Amino acid sequence: MRLPYPARFLTVLLIIGFVLAACATQSGDGSPGESTAESAAETSAPVPTAAAEEPNELLVLEWGGYEAEDFWTDFKSGHPDTDVTFEFGDTDANILAQMQGGSQADIFHFYTGWQQFYVDEGLVQEIDTSKLTNWDKVPVEYQELGQIDGKQYFVPWDWGFTSILYNTEQVDEVTSWDALFNEDYAGHISMWNDGPGAVAVSSYINGWDETALTDDQLAQIEQDWIDQKPLNAFYWSGEYTDLCPAVQDGTIWVAYAWQGCYATALAAGDPVAYANPEEGRNSWVGLYGISADSDSPELALEFLDQKLAETSCANAVTLFYYGCANGDVMSSIDDPVLIEAFGLDDPSILESTNFTPLVTEEQREAWTAMWERVQAN
Amino acid sequence: MLGRRGTLRFLVTPPVAWLALFFIVPLALIAAFSLRAGSGAVGPDEPWLASVDQYAELAGTPAFLRLLGLSVLVAIGVAALATLLAYPIAYFLAFRAGRRASLYLTLLLVPFAVSYLLRVMAWKLMLGPEGGVNSLLSFLGLTDEPIQLLLYSRPAVIITLVYVWIPFAALPIYAAMQRIDRHQLEAAADLGAGPWSRFWRVTVPLSLPGALVTFFMVFIPTVGEYVTPALVGGTDGIMYGNIIQGFFTRSANWPLGSAMAMTMLVLTLAVVLVGLRVVNLRRVLS
Repeated sequence: MRLPYPARFLTVLLIIGFVLAACATQSGDGSPGESTAESAAETSAPVPTAAAEEPNELLVLEWGGYEAEDFWTDFKSGHPDTDVTFEFGDTDANILAQMQGGSQADIFHFYTGWQQFYVDEGLVQEIDTSKLTNWDKVPVEYQELGQIDGKQYFVPWDWGFTSILYNTEQVDEVTSWDALFNEDYAGHISMWNDGPGAVAVSSYINGWDETALTDDQLAQIEQDWIDQKPLNAFYWSGEYTDLCPAVQDGTIWVAYAWQGCYATALAAGDPVAYANPEEGRNSWVGLYGISADSDSPELALEFLDQKLAETSCANAVTLFYYGCANGDVMSSIDDPVLIEAFGLDDPSILESTNFTPLVTEEQREAWTAMWERVQAN
Repeated sequence: MLGRRGTLRFLVTPPVAWLALFFIVPLALIAAFSLRAGSGAVGPDEPWLASVDQYAELAGTPAFLRLLGLSVLVAIGVAALATLLAYPIAYFLAFRAGRRASLYLTLLLVPFAVSYLLRVMAWKLMLGPEGGVNSLLSFLGLTDEPIQLLLYSRPAVIITLVYVWIPFAALPIYAAMQRIDRHQLEAAADLGAGPWSRFWRVTVPLSLPGALVTFFMVFIPTVGEYVTPALVGGTDGIMYGNIIQGFFTRSANWPLGSAMAMTMLVLTLAVVLVGLRVVNLRRVLS
């Protein structure tokens, strides 16, 4: 039986759609057994070409706001003719998904806890730190965060804390992460819209190791956040777009927050404080990787080197209140607001800080799915 | 020289190809993803394994199904309100505006010159603690303190969506009213029908197809709405679309997100079909 023309046409298109979908799953033509750090390193060693022989363009997969030229002004000065463009992600999962999906980005930016995935899936190439002129300014502790199996895959750049930001006129001194669950502040609380963040907070409160949670513990965490949901005005996604305005206009009294928002509100004279919870603050570090498929690996390396240079790092600190991996820049801070925000006046603060651990794919999937269920309840 | 069939193909193929390429193919992709086992995104190391695991996961999560039902109800409410509020506007344009109808129609469309996001953000300011609504209530002496729950609530989502849809909603009703033969109204008047009687027994039935089109035109996209709830809904106003968005972005779980999207599509179509059957559009149109 011969189908009518429209039916034949649509059938062909549907077949094309399914073929495309099937191809998308096999485009990497690698088997699971090959997706190890070793194979990634073997197949993605830096191409030994000079930057001058590469395309004079870079595509950076970034978080919104980081495309500001202040953040990479040293590279811009040295490479005025290089075409640097940006594409964006808004969560670590989103950045990873874009890289998995075949992003053409030469450089990508993500945060601690997600390093292993990029190496396991062969998405990143090893970095030759001997070519980084600013590498010796990066404290060893930060350098090590970019290593997997002793190999340097990532360049640390921005860092900061996560803790409770609170309004001192509405809230008594906050000494624990459980302030996020305090019913006295119902309607004036805001949690970050992120499953791993929620798991970390609950783990701190309950004294659990977040990397070794049992199913029962995860179920308890889910129920706790379902119960906590009505206390929030909203879950925030953008620090400067969602959270800060609501903190500054008095809508939000207690929030899971990074220190950038705290410093912004403090500098504006708002009545805010940044808690030192008895369970410890959380600390995170932003890392840059060079894509295994980059056509401009040497130029990308220069870009990252210049990100670590003094002016770019200082801009991150003074303009956006983020810490930077250039130790010289951090040790030269004398602004009281920044000293307070980074806890530089408290020599013991890092001892009580919880650094974001590496998580497995199973944990990531379980935690993010848990958070979607919390939101749906 | 093209024959009649050839001319028809020549004219129809470009728009159909466009729709097929940017609607049917993406839809097929989503359907295909929804049948993937596992929960990774588009990872290269996951083999293709057709499976209904994602649908089983969805069916086994009451919170998702409950939210889908709630989103359908919200969409019905928004569509009904937008249609009701748009109806008098369309009536005014069709029967009362006279020669200025074109001017008023243009004014009605002015909000579209402003970005959708900006219009929603404007409501965020309006409903905020120091916004226009709270200021007015305070000025009138009706409240001592700002009402915090105006913003970040399900009513805020409904108010904003109805506002956004009203100009759109008026257009199909206006078009239907434009097609009403004025002689029928004159005949009704000659037969002794008063203004209300003419409105209820002539204008309303003849404009009902436009109103139904409006209702479904608002209902269908509202079921999957996620931008407005994200901006003004807070935790109370989260809709099913927000969870789908979450699975595609925060959770990087495209297969489950796709299964949720396909389920929503099927349910939405089912509601539309049931609605059309109940209303019996053919009888209305005849």
